[in-house]
Amino acid sequence: MDDFEEKLKRSFERWPAPPSLKHRLIENRRRRKEHPRWFALPFAARVAVSLCVFAGVFSALYGGMASYHAEQQRKGEEARRQVLLALRITNHALDHMNQQLAAHHRLRQN
Amino acid sequence: MALDLQPDFEQLVDEHQSMVFSLALRMTGDRGLAEEIAQDVFLELDRHLAKIESAAHACFWLRRVAMSRSADALRRRRVRGLHLCVGLEEHHGAPAEERTSPLGARLEQLLATLPEPQRAALVLRYQEDMTPEEIAATLDAPVATVKSHLQRGLKLLRAKAATHLQEFVRGKECTRGI
Repeated sequence: MDDFEEKLKRSFERWPAPPSLKHRLIENRRRRKEHPRWFALPFAARVAVSLCVFAGVFSALYGGMASYHAEQQRKGEEARRQVLLALRITNHALDHMNQQLAAHHRLRQN
Repeated sequence: MALDLQPDFEQLVDEHQSMVFSLALRMTGDRGLAEEIAQDVFLELDRHLAKIESAAHACFWLRRVAMSRSADALRRRRVRGLHLCVGLEEHHGAPAEERTSPLGARLEQLLATLPEPQRAALVLRYQEDMTPEEIAATLDAPVATVKSHLQRGLKLLRAKAATHLQEFVRGKECTRGI
């Protein structure tokens, strides 16, 4: 090592860490332990939370789909009823017309 | 509050906080950022404490993580377009003058102007007194690359020092003359 390198070595001594660093580190660590982050949680806890979230999402989706399906079925039933009513009305009108035609035909024959 | 700390962890903080802080400070040139990095590094150590096998392993691990976090911080700053390579004196004029000689403070300033890989190699070499092989293991780089960074960095620093420090010495002599 030459003179310049010796100078460098002397100049590059370690700086003292700020006195507050350790205190803030301990505080941070305590806060992390109180409110652990996701990856700091144990594996079993992460699996349990994941399962709960999955179950919640699944039931919400299933419930939504079921209610959509029921609504669609109700609408289909309503439409079927309307169509049947329309057919009944048409049938009634055609019967009525048929009777009138038959009566008219009878009158002309007489 | 401190009672819930594992004694090992607290001991490691006491022993190595100065090293981690100094590495981050010399790499980033920003005291606030260096404190943040030091905090991150020790919190990371806390999470990996079970994997630490010995005091030497802890020291190696801390150096490695401190250097990589500092490089990440510099990269993030570059992406944000902030000005890099801030001289230590701009941020830490008072502490620098208190602790090191004016010559040392100048050398610190010149170090901050070097390219990042050369600065990293020089800091580990002269602050931590590590061999090129140890530096290579810490930075996860080939030994030849580290040797080249050391050589080039030293050459560049020497050249810069030759001009800057001569002016500095001349300036001091003038002040004494007055």
